[in-house]
Amino acid sequence: MAPPWLDVLDETIGACVTHRRPDLEARLREKRAQQLDPKLRVLVVGESKQGKSQLVNALLNAPVCAVGDDITTTVPTFVQHADTPSAALVRNASAGGSIFHTPTERIAVPIDQVTKQAAAQHVVRAEIGIPRALLDSGLVLIDTPGVGDTRSAHTASTFATLMQADAVLLVSDATGELTSAEMTLLKKVMEACPNVTVVVTKIDLVPSWRSVVERNRALLARAGIRAKLIPVSSALRLRAAKSGDQRLNAESGFPELVTCVQSDIVASADLLARRAVAVVASSAITQLVTPLREELTAHDSSHTVATISTLQEAQRRVDELRRRSARWQNVLNDEMADLISDVEYDLRDRTRKILREVDKTYDEADPAIGWDKFEQWLEDNLNEAATTNFAWLMERAEWVAAKVARNFPVYREDLIPGSVLPDDLLEPASKLEKPKIEPFSVPQKLFTGLRGSYGGVLMFGLVTSLAGMPLINVISLGAGALFGGKSILDESDQRLKRRQAAAKAAAQRHVDDFFMKFSKDVRDSGRHIQRSLRNHFSTLAEELQETLLESARSAKRAVQDDQTDRERRMREGRKELDRLVTLYKRVQALGGPAMELTA
Amino acid sequence: MTLDRVVWSMLQEALGVYRDSPRATAWLRSHAERYTEPVRIAVAGRSRIGKSTVVNALVGDEFTPQSSFVWYRGGTEPRAHVFTGPGRPHELTIGRRGNRHHVETGQFDRADRVVVDWPARTLRDVVLIDTPSEATPEQVLGDADALLYLMRHVQDEDLKFLQSANDHPIARTAAVHTVAVLARADEIGAGRIDALSSAKQIARRYRRDPAVQPLCQNVVSVAGLLAVAAKTLREDEFAALRVLSSLGREELEDHLLSADRFVGDPFPLTMEPAVRQALLERFGIFGVRLITALIRQGFDSQVKLTGQLVQRSGLGELRDSIAVHFTERREVLKARSAMLALDVLFRMEPRPSARKLMADLERVVASAHDFRELRLVAALQSGRTKLPAELQAEALRLVGAEGVAPAARLGFEYEADARELREALLDALLRWQAQAADVHAPHDQRKAAQIVVRTCEGLLPQFS
Repeated sequence: MAPPWLDVLDETIGACVTHRRPDLEARLREKRAQQLDPKLRVLVVGESKQGKSQLVNALLNAPVCAVGDDITTTVPTFVQHADTPSAALVRNASAGGSIFHTPTERIAVPIDQVTKQAAAQHVVRAEIGIPRALLDSGLVLIDTPGVGDTRSAHTASTFATLMQADAVLLVSDATGELTSAEMTLLKKVMEACPNVTVVVTKIDLVPSWRSVVERNRALLARAGIRAKLIPVSSALRLRAAKSGDQRLNAESGFPELVTCVQSDIVASADLLARRAVAVVASSAITQLVTPLREELTAHDSSHTVATISTLQEAQRRVDELRRRSARWQNVLNDEMADLISDVEYDLRDRTRKILREVDKTYDEADPAIGWDKFEQWLEDNLNEAATTNFAWLMERAEWVAAKVARNFPVYREDLIPGSVLPDDLLEPASKLEKPKIEPFSVPQKLFTGLRGSYGGVLMFGLVTSLAGMPLINVISLGAGALFGGKSILDESDQRLKRRQAAAKAAAQRHVDDFFMKFSKDVRDSGRHIQRSLRNHFSTLAEELQETLLESARSAKRAVQDDQTDRERRMREGRKELDRLVTLYKRVQALGGPAMELTA
Repeated sequence: MTLDRVVWSMLQEALGVYRDSPRATAWLRSHAERYTEPVRIAVAGRSRIGKSTVVNALVGDEFTPQSSFVWYRGGTEPRAHVFTGPGRPHELTIGRRGNRHHVETGQFDRADRVVVDWPARTLRDVVLIDTPSEATPEQVLGDADALLYLMRHVQDEDLKFLQSANDHPIARTAAVHTVAVLARADEIGAGRIDALSSAKQIARRYRRDPAVQPLCQNVVSVAGLLAVAAKTLREDEFAALRVLSSLGREELEDHLLSADRFVGDPFPLTMEPAVRQALLERFGIFGVRLITALIRQGFDSQVKLTGQLVQRSGLGELRDSIAVHFTERREVLKARSAMLALDVLFRMEPRPSARKLMADLERVVASAHDFRELRLVAALQSGRTKLPAELQAEALRLVGAEGVAPAARLGFEYEADARELREALLDALLRWQAQAADVHAPHDQRKAAQIVVRTCEGLLPQFS
């Protein structure tokens, strides 16, 4: 029949598996394997030079462990039953590997060579077998290197061995009471293995050992440690063994220790196992329960708070987006209105300049000569004005886009549109109409000359006829010619003026046309740009809003889901916790009577 | 100018700079006063390690242990004072309790310190401070120039104490003030008759241990009870021990197996259990074993026995160690304490006018040859610096590991005259100059040789 502690231990291991704690599981499995092992490991620990090795020797009445005045024991030494005395060193097969989980090899050595060779590197432990009645029942005494020595490797190996111990003899010599370091060690040992007996050694050396033992008892009581305290003298025991002196043996205190080992440790192996299992399992369960309990208490508050704050955040961002989209729309409208009026003004300014130039030119020049050239010039100038103006429009439009983007609630890569240009821009304006230019032809000139000369001839002919000259004479003819010439000149001057006026008017008209047409174009493209920017940004805003709304919705959903889910999990958690608590109680029940036994 | 003069003048200068600050002035005055006093040696260690016993052994008289700091100073007649708080000290009476002297602290159980003036030869050039075991390193070292640290086997706790004692920039460059003592040497050897030589071997091992070495100047082993016994063995005790040794060896051994057996009945001699109990308390089971064995071996007069006990208990070695490392280095240790005090002052009350002094202090710490010598001693002994075997011993000797007198440095065991010393010195100087100039030697060896050369050069003016 399986002992009751095994069920509890298995159940605890199961709980560890469910809670995904492989570390605890491994520890418990190790304990399980060790408890099922019929061997009983009794660990002898203590600070260095307290007489640990000598205690083992005296217990067995055999010099199995080397003793010396300086630090002697360097590796844990396992002393167990064997029919013939034998010894072996166990060392790491792979040099430089860790102490744990590496393949080891055993090397048989003569018993008296053990200590000497144990000092070699990579030796993990020494094993000694001797025929002794005390060890017959599967008892293994483990002598350990002193704790608190300056060479920390020794201490580490002692603590590694501690995990395998079924019972512990803590050794402290009678030259002083338990030091604070020893009390710390004791507490540490109690955590791993509760079956501790404190052995006070070297009582032969100290006259006042009784008061030391009393003080130690008081110290233990004050620290709340329930451990037996046995004063012994290894020297007396070994001496008694040599001389066969029973009285001396009794004086050494060892009979009591042997009885303690036999009755408390060997005979009550099951009890020890229960106590050890109780301690290890309850520590494991405590570790399982703590996070569970935390989860249960923290669940209501922290998780929900997080979800709700996500929801609030999402809603806040939607509002923010709305508020800011009003702003970017305003910016776009204002900026585009400004832009259009600015561009128009610029265009007007440019065309006016051109017109002034035209006026200046045709104050002097004759449009009849080189009209074509003028036409070309005008076209070029207007084109240039248009291009510059339009380029400026584009520049400003991009700037506006950037400004709007800046006022947009979030930043994105594609925030500024690639192109805002309307495609059908800059249709060519109407051709410049050539003004009507009346040529001053030769017959016209002749006619005009004749008409002018007529008055001259007549006027002077009448005057000279008074002087007895004929109507047609040299003077009148000369005057006629003069008058005629003047008329022609006047006429052609007037005609030039007319032509110039006509040319100016034509140019004016053309430029007006151009301005009308082009300013309309510019305004159109301005509006086009505005429209396309607005479309672009509102699409973005809509997308964004949708995303935000979605996340707000999902947050809301999460809050709702959480409610149900959490309740479910809480229920499960509570159930699990109850289960663990019950298990814990069973574990405690295992250790309960044992704890009282030690008192 | 030697180190102690430099530091002394710095103390005086600081007094000038800080004359308007009463706190600083008081601090500097106390340190200036301390500068001329004998070396103060604190005796520290864990509880029940035997601090008071070792102090008693060194003083040569038995005092009952106290719970506060107890200073033992040399004086022409026995007097004791108690210092509590800022007030004036109160005089105390020194009575007797059993065979021990007892300072009646009476109502002053919370004393800062008890100062005992005692006419003893040892106290002529040292002041011993017995410290309570719960005192922190700062408390222990606050008033002391040097430290005797008592321990059994070196444990982590002991190393921690010694490390924190060295945890200061100046203290670290001048880690010259500690001697570790393996107290209770008799118990280390489990009370066997050869326990003391075994303890001596362990002390020797620790002297080379790289964890212990840098923290102290030396490690010695002392059996406290025996050492006290050597100094205070009384007529009646000697008589009783003689009677004991007259018993057969086997028979006596049987009764010396354990403390219980020794005081218990039946006992083969007619000796009061109270007498046996007293012997046991005074000498310990090991002491009784050793003394009876010694008497049997022929050290049968009190004088002979006392000599043996001083030597065997390790008291002699401890005294030598104190002499070499502390008393003879008084100037260096005092300078070191004063520099630590100056450093504390500069940190607590920094002021622009003290800037020159601060720079001076830094320079002295970095350059003082005495510290360099001591650092070299530590480096050589710990194996941090290695010299060829034949040079190592000489280097240690020259830089003063065995005493700072010229004769000791040059290795003369007899009283050599000035001419001989001068020749030996010149010889050494030439040899070490060559060593310092040896391009094939590693850097640290040449560095060490340079320090030795500097030491030799420093000695030279005395002989020319």
